[in-house]
Amino acid sequence: MTAISKEQEQILTERAHSLTRQARLSAAVFSQYSQAQVDRIVKAMTTCAIDNAARLARMAHEETRMGVTEDKVLKNLVASEFLYAQIKDKRTVGVIKELPELNMVEVAEPIGVILGLAPVTNPTSTVIFKSICCAKTRNSIIFSPHLMAAESSNLAAKLIYEAALEAGAPKGFITWVDKSSRLRRLSEILFAHPEVDLIFATGGTQMVRAAYSSGKPALGVGAGNTPVYVHKTANVPSAAMEIIISKTFDNGTECPSEQTLIIDREIVDELISEFRRCGCYICDEAEVEKIADAVIDARTGGMNYRLVGQPANLILEQAGIKVDRHIKMILCPLKGELRLHRLAVEKLMPVLGYVAVDSVEEGINRALDINYGGGTGHTAGIFCEDDGVIERYADAINAGRIIVNSPSSIGGLGGVYNHLNTTLSFGCGTGGGNITTDNVGIKNLLNYKRVPRRKNYVISFQTTKNIYSNPGSIEHLKSLKCKNAFVISSRSASRRGHLSMVKESLPEGCHVDVFSDIGTEPDFPTIQRAVQAMRLSKPDAIIALGGGSVLDAAKIIRLFYDYPELNVQELAVNFLDFHHRMVEFPKDMRTQLVAIPTTSGTGSEVTPFAVLKDGFRKVSMIDECMIPDVAIIDAQFTKSLPREITSDTAFDALTHALESLVSTFSSDYTDGLALEALRLIFEALPETLKNPGSILHRHKLHNAATLAGMAIGNASVGVNHALAHALGARFDIPHGRANGVFLLSTIEYNAQIPSKFVSIPCYPLWVADRKYARAAQFIGLKEEAHAVDSRPQVEDPHFATEGSRGQYDGMVLALRRAVYDLGRLAGQPLSVSELGIDLADYQAALPELVETAFSDMSVRSNPRYCLAPEIVQLFQAAYAPRVRP
Amino acid sequence: MSTKKDEGKTTDKKIERVRIMGSLERAVDEIDRLLAGSTDEVEIDFSTCTFIAVEGLEWLEELLLRADSVKRTVRFVNVPPTIYKVFKISHIESLMKAAGGVSSTKLGPAC
Repeated sequence: MTAISKEQEQILTERAHSLTRQARLSAAVFSQYSQAQVDRIVKAMTTCAIDNAARLARMAHEETRMGVTEDKVLKNLVASEFLYAQIKDKRTVGVIKELPELNMVEVAEPIGVILGLAPVTNPTSTVIFKSICCAKTRNSIIFSPHLMAAESSNLAAKLIYEAALEAGAPKGFITWVDKSSRLRRLSEILFAHPEVDLIFATGGTQMVRAAYSSGKPALGVGAGNTPVYVHKTANVPSAAMEIIISKTFDNGTECPSEQTLIIDREIVDELISEFRRCGCYICDEAEVEKIADAVIDARTGGMNYRLVGQPANLILEQAGIKVDRHIKMILCPLKGELRLHRLAVEKLMPVLGYVAVDSVEEGINRALDINYGGGTGHTAGIFCEDDGVIERYADAINAGRIIVNSPSSIGGLGGVYNHLNTTLSFGCGTGGGNITTDNVGIKNLLNYKRVPRRKNYVISFQTTKNIYSNPGSIEHLKSLKCKNAFVISSRSASRRGHLSMVKESLPEGCHVDVFSDIGTEPDFPTIQRAVQAMRLSKPDAIIALGGGSVLDAAKIIRLFYDYPELNVQELAVNFLDFHHRMVEFPKDMRTQLVAIPTTSGTGSEVTPFAVLKDGFRKVSMIDECMIPDVAIIDAQFTKSLPREITSDTAFDALTHALESLVSTFSSDYTDGLALEALRLIFEALPETLKNPGSILHRHKLHNAATLAGMAIGNASVGVNHALAHALGARFDIPHGRANGVFLLSTIEYNAQIPSKFVSIPCYPLWVADRKYARAAQFIGLKEEAHAVDSRPQVEDPHFATEGSRGQYDGMVLALRRAVYDLGRLAGQPLSVSELGIDLADYQAALPELVETAFSDMSVRSNPRYCLAPEIVQLFQAAYAPRVRP
Repeated sequence: MSTKKDEGKTTDKKIERVRIMGSLERAVDEIDRLLAGSTDEVEIDFSTCTFIAVEGLEWLEELLLRADSVKRTVRFVNVPPTIYKVFKISHIESLMKAAGGVSSTKLGPAC
């Protein structure tokens, strides 16, 4: 190679600038074109290519002395006519794909300036193909042809470009590197040119490697070495003919063409005879060596490039084998270790190796030897009528295209024998050092802009199907369809007469078993004992009679009774979004569950939640399947409830109402329930405390708890529950009481403009402050004007963010004062110190409390994104005795 | 024609504005005439420009060079996004400057 002088290098650099500038301006102008304009240009280019297919084929053959003119005509037609048929209706401008089910569209963005390499084996068809693809995708292309085929490649580019220009294409959108001794060097400059956006490399391994090492995005191809397995079920004469068609196509220059046949021994003689009958030459062992000497370059071990695309007779002659008739193809039996055989490589000429195998396993393994012997990721073929064998073959072979019962070369081109995309550029995936296994085409020459619209967030509402409320509604049990009931309760149920009330209300003749070992904090061993008892009893109905713990336990007991194979640890896995959680619960429950609450607090009778104690933490199980089938809201069961429990549980329900109201999952459905629950609590709790025997007010309180339960069952709770869960588990505090000590702090915290907003699609606007204000208004409170001007008196100033004072502050303060007044009236502890917890113990437990609260799922639906330091502050702020806000 | 006072200067500037209707090529002669006249500043209004061809880009680039050589200012105003994108993709620095945009210079891949 002659050295290039500095001046020559300068000239080449200027030429590269000139080519890329033309292409760059053209790409810019192309961005304005509509789909109709593009399609008109593509049509004109295709017509031109079809008109010139024979002329260009002839010229390519004359220039390269490779292949067969008639086959090159076919290649040119595939690259134009077949390609056009596939792409003419494809959208490549603007919105190209609508995905309504994903609420998303894809919009096309051209690549820009493409440097296209054209190989010596397909010098005109590749140019036709790439030009049309670039026009369709509004890219400009600079062709770098192979030196040995530059005249024909560049003529193809020129003819097609002129047709495009005539149809309105931008000036300079196709350009090319002229044939000269400096062609290679100019191509190298272009590889690294900053104005080239993508290299579309089809050619020899060296050029493709150079393209990849340029550091630019590149669409390359890999080397081929196509194994073709001929299974015993194949149609032998047809397979023989298809293989001849394929391997002789353009004298074997197509890289997906067959290189080694792997033939089931049962049919090997028949197939070889058929090849012989059809005009192929079958070599004996000595001749195989002669052929190998001729077609394999001893220095590299690869094919002899001088024989690429040459006819079989010439190759035989070069090998010193005299034949006096026309030979279509040369077949060489490959004896010995296949992987080491000289002919087990790519041979782009009508020379084909073959081996016989004794089983499908051996057939696939030999095919893998060829596949991984220089052609990984490219192409493979199979002739077979057994779908199972085809599937096994396809699963094992690493090839971008596995051609079935068709010629692998023309089959690989796509569009003729199958529905593969038409291409002259075969992606080989990572096996071949490429980014794609596609039949590269217009799809690969676009940038795809995805425009996802916001998800349509579906809000659903689920609750217990049958709810019977009013004092005396226990009578409904009589109509329960059950022969064998299993009552789950606590020990106090019997003492308070509740158990007998239930037993008396069950249908006549119904057998009843009772499990009354549920304590205040049920754990899994208790659940297992209950399930064991149920296995002996075999009930058709479970009656959960008690407070929240009993009802929760009953839900879990039913779950494990109906589905013993479930794993509690798996079901309790945390989740961010209910719709995407990994845990799968059963769809249907087999045993009916009747929930009879005896406290007015948790609302568990209508929720999908169940909480289980696990050491110092509580685990939650949440699913629709946990919702009881029947809830009986009969205030007679709460008549004898002690004052302290009445107040604790009412504060639990109050917290449910307030947290569900401001939850990020709240909806019009849950808001109504939460507001009415609030109103009932503020109305009925003072009256109930004044007159504990008043069934009317007990009933209102009972209804409030159920309504608030429906609200949290669908909107969930918030940070207050996270804090209460942690505190309750650590210091053994009843749930409602633990909730009460944080309530004043969390209302204040959530009513401030968050330091960090919650990112969740169903909560497009932070509205916690106005919702609290709405709650205050709903229960008849008046705005506290005093507070608007005296914000600093608020005891937890660190919750405030700058400029967080708002128009709702007065109403929020009114609500906090109302909660404070209700708490004081009920004698409810409103701070941690009022629970009697020692400050030192509390501070020592703080890290653990914070970690537990931070991991609690409840914080995920809080309207303010809870930062860890804020959780610390919430715990700290809740300690000191409360004064009226 | 409009006039504009330069900050801190007492002299008025003579500014002419040309609106391109449709394709840029239609306004070429008028812009050339203004540049040849006594105008200090030419504003090319692209608000109704619908298409720029490769020749148009080349002409604009050359126009800016000419204006610079005779110490005149040419500014592009009301450039619609389709045309602004053409300037962006073309990577011609002077066009971006005249359109009041930031440099198109590629900084390379970054995330």
